[in-house]
Amino acid sequence: MTSTARRATREALAVSARDLTKTYGRGDAQVHALRGIDLDLVRGRFTAIMGPSGSGKSTLMHCLAGLDQASGGTVTVAGTELGSLDDDALTVFRREHVGFVFQAFNLLPMLTALQNILLPLELGGRRVDEETRERAHALAETLGVADRLDHRPAELSGGQQQRVAIARALVTGPDLLFADEPTGNLDSATSAEVLEHLRRSARELGRTVVMVTHDRDAAAYADDVVTMRDGRIA
Amino acid sequence: MRTVLLASLRTHLRRYVAAAVAVVVGVAFVVVVGVLTAGARAGLMDGFGAPYRGADHVVVADPGVRPPRGPSCCPDTLDVAAAIALVDRLGDDASGLGRVLLPMQVGDERGSTTVGPIAASEELRWQELTAGRFPAGDGEAVVHVWDATALDIAVGDRIRVGADATELAVVGLVNSPSTESQASVYVAWAQYLHWREHPLFHIGKIAVRGDVGPVPEGAVARTAEEHVTEGLAGLSNDTDAYALMGVLFAAVALVVAGLVVANTFAILFAQRMRDFALLRCVGATRRQVLGSVRREALAVGALASLIGVPVGGGLGYGLIALVNAVAPTTPMGVPGLPVPWLLAGFAVGTLVTAVASWLPTRGVVRVSPLAALRPESAVDARTATGRSRLALAASGLVVGTVLLGVAIARRDTMVMVAGGAAFFGGVLLLGPVVVPRMVRVAGALLGPAGRLATENAVRNPRRTATTTAALLIGVTLTTAVLTGLATYGAALDETTNRNHPVDVALGSTAAPLPADLLDQVRGTTGVERAIAVHGAVARVDGLAHPIPVVSAPDAAHVARDGGGFARVEPGTIRLDLGSFRDLGIEPGDRVAVRVGDRRVELRVISLSGWGNAGLVAPEDLARLVDTPEPRAVWVRTAPDADPLRLVDDLTGLAAGAGAGVEDQLQARAVQQRELDVLTWSVLGLLGVSVAIALVGIGNTLGLSVLERAREHAMLRALGLTRRQLRRMLAAEAALMAVVATLLGTTIGVAFAWVTHETLIKQALTRATLQIPWPSLGAVVLVAALAGVLASVVPARRAARVTPAAGLTHD
Ligand SMILES: Nc1ncnc2c1ncn2[C@@H]1O[C@H](COP(=O)(O)OP(=O)(O)OP(=O)(O)O)[C@@H](O)[C@H]1O
Ligand SMILES: [Mg+2]
Repeated sequence: MTSTARRATREALAVSARDLTKTYGRGDAQVHALRGIDLDLVRGRFTAIMGPSGSGKSTLMHCLAGLDQASGGTVTVAGTELGSLDDDALTVFRREHVGFVFQAFNLLPMLTALQNILLPLELGGRRVDEETRERAHALAETLGVADRLDHRPAELSGGQQQRVAIARALVTGPDLLFADEPTGNLDSATSAEVLEHLRRSARELGRTVVMVTHDRDAAAYADDVVTMRDGRIA
Repeated sequence: MRTVLLASLRTHLRRYVAAAVAVVVGVAFVVVVGVLTAGARAGLMDGFGAPYRGADHVVVADPGVRPPRGPSCCPDTLDVAAAIALVDRLGDDASGLGRVLLPMQVGDERGSTTVGPIAASEELRWQELTAGRFPAGDGEAVVHVWDATALDIAVGDRIRVGADATELAVVGLVNSPSTESQASVYVAWAQYLHWREHPLFHIGKIAVRGDVGPVPEGAVARTAEEHVTEGLAGLSNDTDAYALMGVLFAAVALVVAGLVVANTFAILFAQRMRDFALLRCVGATRRQVLGSVRREALAVGALASLIGVPVGGGLGYGLIALVNAVAPTTPMGVPGLPVPWLLAGFAVGTLVTAVASWLPTRGVVRVSPLAALRPESAVDARTATGRSRLALAASGLVVGTVLLGVAIARRDTMVMVAGGAAFFGGVLLLGPVVVPRMVRVAGALLGPAGRLATENAVRNPRRTATTTAALLIGVTLTTAVLTGLATYGAALDETTNRNHPVDVALGSTAAPLPADLLDQVRGTTGVERAIAVHGAVARVDGLAHPIPVVSAPDAAHVARDGGGFARVEPGTIRLDLGSFRDLGIEPGDRVAVRVGDRRVELRVISLSGWGNAGLVAPEDLARLVDTPEPRAVWVRTAPDADPLRLVDDLTGLAAGAGAGVEDQLQARAVQQRELDVLTWSVLGLLGVSVAIALVGIGNTLGLSVLERAREHAMLRALGLTRRQLRRMLAAEAALMAVVATLLGTTIGVAFAWVTHETLIKQALTRATLQIPWPSLGAVVLVAALAGVLASVVPARRAARVTPAAGLTHD
């Protein structure tokens, strides 16, 4: 491979993990949640991670997203090696490059939907100007929650909450979007809507999307599927 | 249910730590008060009984005999001549008790000292020799060790005592317990009688070994035992009054602790609602669940109280040791364990916990088994503020305000206390409505950075209200006390200024003062201004000795009352009647004032504060003398002057000019010191409540942090740094602390105003409310900082959790 080709590959890679391991506990109680993962995720694609319960999907996602430190190996996201960052740098990195959607408890109960969407900007100390407000409204429009922006999470349905969470994940324009079982609590029609939005984020907005799921139908929306078994990629 | 109870205790014990700390502090407070009271009483007993230890009888003045036979300084003591005769008759079997205040000179140092007699027989001597020997006769003395240390006196030194500067050889040092007969210098009986003509000389009691025989007229003999028991009863009434004060402050601390406990249980039970619902699902009855949590509360209360008792006992005995080491002049004995206090402390602590957990536990039984099956968000800790609560709060405020108004109008203390309690109760009930709104206003000042903190602080109004209420109580009382004492102090100052307008007066009835004295006085350190006052020595009808009669048109230069006292109406003479003994005149009398053969008739007006001189109008003085001579120098001292040194220096100057000195400085200093001691004691006692309330803030925050672990994890995932998270929690704590403090300060000042109108104005008519802004500012600042401090532990714990761990934990 020529050096230009190598650089092109590297630039095309959004996430790259090498020999990634994660162990919990010690002695008899030790659990090997990840046992040497090598994984490359290509920029602008929608990847689903599947596998049986306890196979290490969530753990892998947490390590790739910089939510947890790996026990061994390296993770490189958008050209930055996460292992080299301290907690503050890692936090700022997440704030700028990564968006999250979780299975549940995505939103702060005491903030309205709009406040929740704007939260990552506020945490970054960015001033919320007209332009960002426009962007938030546009995202809410796309996701179909524009008329619910002044409501608090308790007044929203599960699907609406998830769509607000997606809007929040996208509002900073992150390189990467991680979703851990985003449709776990939703009915099939609402699931389909949420998944459609994730796919559009990849196709139309060029985001790299990584989704953990149990559901084969959900995985069908993805471009690539990675299957895990017992801490390894099968 | 036993397994459930034990498992709950095991799992949740750590979460009760802060509540337990609050109870421990409250219980320890009660026990400390008990130990100190017992210590003070033991100290008094040791001291009071000492002079009568070897005696069988005590001869005292018969309180029923009118007029009293004692000298004019101390009418209720024995008739001096009769007492001396009795001691003479009984010889070694009698020990006269009394003392006299005399000037004393040690080396070049001048001052004054108390001198008392020492018994002839060894069995009746209650002073304890620590060095040298007891005086054998005239010209010898023993000195109390404290005074010896303070004045650097050793055995073999010589001191001069009395107006005639009688020289005494110090032959020993003694320690003597604190009694009304305690003196700094003790001499043999015959030497003591040397000062019998001094106006302050008196003999209070005579301790007698064996039979008294005929008792002099106007006196009675009692058995020593009777006398001591009766005297102690009076003294213990005093200590009981102090104990009552201590108990009041301890009660405040316990109420605050109760609030912290109530909040802890409310929060913990809210967090465990799903557990309770699950228990109900699997078949536990309401009674079983309720019984289990009540026993849990009782166990926490009993355990905390059990810890509080030894903690308080240790502190109490430690404080007694400390007081004895630092201030040996304060009588403190080492008492036996005050068992009733210990039991009371334990019982009260357990009771407070049980009562405080009553309401929260009642909420537990309301949970329906279905709650376990609903998603978590349905278990909402938010509670609506009930109408009945609002109605009760409103009636508390209205009734309280009316009662306070009535109290001011009728100057009735009891009504004032009742009104204050009703009003404050209303405020506390209104807390869940008012406090969150105030937090929002205060939070707005923090800008967008404080938005999350503000939202967190108000999301659970009742929890926030209870947390702030605990601090509110302490701050309100602190502010009221600070303002009240500032007002009282200012009023006292004003009265002192009016009654003692001249700080120091140098005067003479002999020769006129030398011309250079004024300049010397002005050159003395600590003198701000001084004026010479002119007049003549005159004879005044009804006064045994001639006095200077002066006129002081420029008194305003030095007088603390602006010189008002010296603006004399023509035809009157103003006399400082307090400076004369054996007066034959009264205010309103017309007296003849003579200088040489000139004479004027003047009406007497009594004022005080400038010493042994009569004040007249300039025209009246002109009728008495053609060229007035300098007769007095009046001094205004600088605010930072050292009273003892200044008076010493001026006494030296005056002695050189053949004049005497009268000063108000030491009286002023004592008054100021007493006020300071009072202020700091009350602040210290209230400080305990404030400290408990701050533990409460940390507690609420810590428990809320546990509850919000998932939210914090999410915020961290979204890009909140550890430092931002810590700051957010600190801001939340500071918001609660500041709002409680601001509200408390406002109410406290209002209460102080009411107290001023009701009580202080009555005692000191010219008092105006003084708001000590700097102190109040300091209170707010300290509370805010302490709030931030209270957040440190919970915030650190919250920030340690990695986002991933927070997200996976249930
Ligand atoms: N904090 C932890 N401490 C100890 N072991 C853990 C911890 N978190 C996860 N594990 C273990 O690591 C393994 C992988 O867990 P992980 O949550 O990644 O599984 P998963 O594939 O996401 O499962 P699921 O589909 O049920 O969510 C499991 O065996 C789990 O028990
Ligand atoms: Mg998982």
